[in-house]
Amino acid sequence: MSPNLSLYLALALYACGTLIALASLFARELRLQQAGLMLMISGWVLHTFWIGSICVRTHHPPLTNLPETAAFISWTVFLVELVLFIRYRVHAAAFFVYPLVLILLTVSAVVSEPFVSGDPALRSRIFTAHILLTTVGVAALFISLAFNLMAYLQDRSLREKTRGRLWEWIPSLSVCKMVSYRALAIGFSIYTAGLLAGVLWSYRVNAGPLDFRTKQIGAVVAWVLFATLLQSYISGVYRARRSILISAGAFIATVVAMLGIHRV
Amino acid sequence: MTLLLVGVNHRTAPVDVRERLSVAGGPQMEETLAGLRGLAGIDGAAMLSTCNRVEAIVSATSEDVLEPVVDWLCARASANRDELEKHLYVLRHADVIKHLYRVASGLDSMIVGEPQIGGQVREAFLFSRERGGLDSLLSQLFDQTMRVAKKVRTDTGIGEHAVSVPFAAVELAKKIFGELQGLEVLLLGAGEMGELTAEHLSKFGLKQIFVANRSYDRAVELAQRFSGEAIQFSGIEPYLATCDIVIASTAAPHYVVERAHIERARTTRRMRNLFLIDLSVPRNIDPTIADVDGAFLYDIDDLQHVADANRELRLQKAQEAEEIVAREVDGFRKRLIAQDAVPTIVELQQRLETIRAAELDKCLRKLGPVSAEQRAAIEMFSSQMVNKILHYPILQLKESADEPERESLRRTIRKIFGLR
Repeated sequence: MSPNLSLYLALALYACGTLIALASLFARELRLQQAGLMLMISGWVLHTFWIGSICVRTHHPPLTNLPETAAFISWTVFLVELVLFIRYRVHAAAFFVYPLVLILLTVSAVVSEPFVSGDPALRSRIFTAHILLTTVGVAALFISLAFNLMAYLQDRSLREKTRGRLWEWIPSLSVCKMVSYRALAIGFSIYTAGLLAGVLWSYRVNAGPLDFRTKQIGAVVAWVLFATLLQSYISGVYRARRSILISAGAFIATVVAMLGIHRV
Repeated sequence: MTLLLVGVNHRTAPVDVRERLSVAGGPQMEETLAGLRGLAGIDGAAMLSTCNRVEAIVSATSEDVLEPVVDWLCARASANRDELEKHLYVLRHADVIKHLYRVASGLDSMIVGEPQIGGQVREAFLFSRERGGLDSLLSQLFDQTMRVAKKVRTDTGIGEHAVSVPFAAVELAKKIFGELQGLEVLLLGAGEMGELTAEHLSKFGLKQIFVANRSYDRAVELAQRFSGEAIQFSGIEPYLATCDIVIASTAAPHYVVERAHIERARTTRRMRNLFLIDLSVPRNIDPTIADVDGAFLYDIDDLQHVADANRELRLQKAQEAEEIVAREVDGFRKRLIAQDAVPTIVELQQRLETIRAAELDKCLRKLGPVSAEQRAAIEMFSSQMVNKILHYPILQLKESADEPERESLRRTIRKIFGLR
């Protein structure tokens, strides 16, 4: 199977899985969502194959440009979602995570950039660590945002004493908050380590710690917002509405940072 | 084979009739079942006796057993036939199957979707099965009934939503905390509804229940009931900072829990949620607490609305459940019909095979020496012809829908093909 064929097949399976999972929201049919999950898992297997094929061709992790990074974040986000689903049976996460996974992989497929191998700058271990850590960190932070959104919706339903469409699909408020907090704490630590590695690498290559292009500004803004969110969790001044606004800002900043990734 | 069900339930008979027919478990059930099975013509029997229904389910060779079963029930209730008959319902074959599916799924219950009835049906049939009281037909019906009941509950979730105020409170607590294990509850007052709610919550492995009441002795008494701890009513504030659920059910004409209490408690509670259940009228918990982050306040009306909404939801799910039941009844009925036709089909096949073999033998003798290929071709021709002839009669025997038509068809086929 050609690598690009596996990418397009994965994309098609993700698209079908996402549509079916979203349809289950309206049909309130658990079996539909299970079918969606099966399609997503099949897509993820092909996605894994595609990422593996990039590694084989370029001899480095698939993290050097926007399509590769988006694909890797998408892959990691789904992996984490799968683990959380197995642990907590959180059906509602599908409504937020599947579209995100699909969009990220679509970016990979649409933004066409050649795969490059052998660039000496990419052989640096610090660079590899920077990319790997920020990518995994961002994936965990996205999961945290998804669970934060679910916690917000659950909090609002309980407060307004009404049942939204997601009432039955979302786990308890405590589980949403706990998963969101843990993913945020872990993701933020990894992301911070990744940024520090990036600063170090930039210092070595450019003889300066930062050059403040779009991706750097986006990454720093996202870091500040995630730090604020984490601080509100730790200090116990968590407010559902405030946290969702910060989360939205952090998400946008992260996306801006990602879109700023072109060739290194 | 015929399936019959004769019984009374909460809709057809008042409690004084039901109690005369009801059967306690153990020896009384054993004796009753033996009496029912002792009636002439009965192949298998089971008795379902709950507080809302008493039903005798029997399988027999013909419907003639109906009269003796009704007489037997009258004798059990020490009632004359006219008196009891107006409360009885009699169901036959497919209606029995449908009725049992509906009963075991909770669709025929006073509270639609209640889960206990499934277990009661299981116990009734198991009791009979363990004593050899179920024939093959009832055995199959029992297994199928349990399977359908499980399918209905799993596919529709009909029993998942609480329809009483205390259970609605438990359901909401689960929505807030997930697991209730390890939580601490503060019960304020000794109101009946508060007690009931605390009792339901206590079944989920709570860490501790603190009870505060104006009368300390009453608090001690209640605390003992829940293996909890009695505290002074005037000293509840520190507990608001540590407990996860607060149930207020006092007769106080003012707020017992005020917003300032919760605001102060928040500083130590940090991110932990607090579920406040106000079951008192007039209310004992300041309603403005509902605006405090991390605090979720439900009063008696809110909980009643939740219970009412759940009741509505159950009725909606009952419609889905009825569709499942209808499909399953049809499937089981077709299986029984096919099973019923098996002896005739086997005889028919044997009869035609005998004819085919004899005619083939004659034919081969007339033809004289033939090659192996020629012999195989002749054999195949005869086999295929017999199969084609049998195809429609067998199909009709398997698919014929109603009992009289099926019986008439079976007799006709047996006559035409000369079966004994």
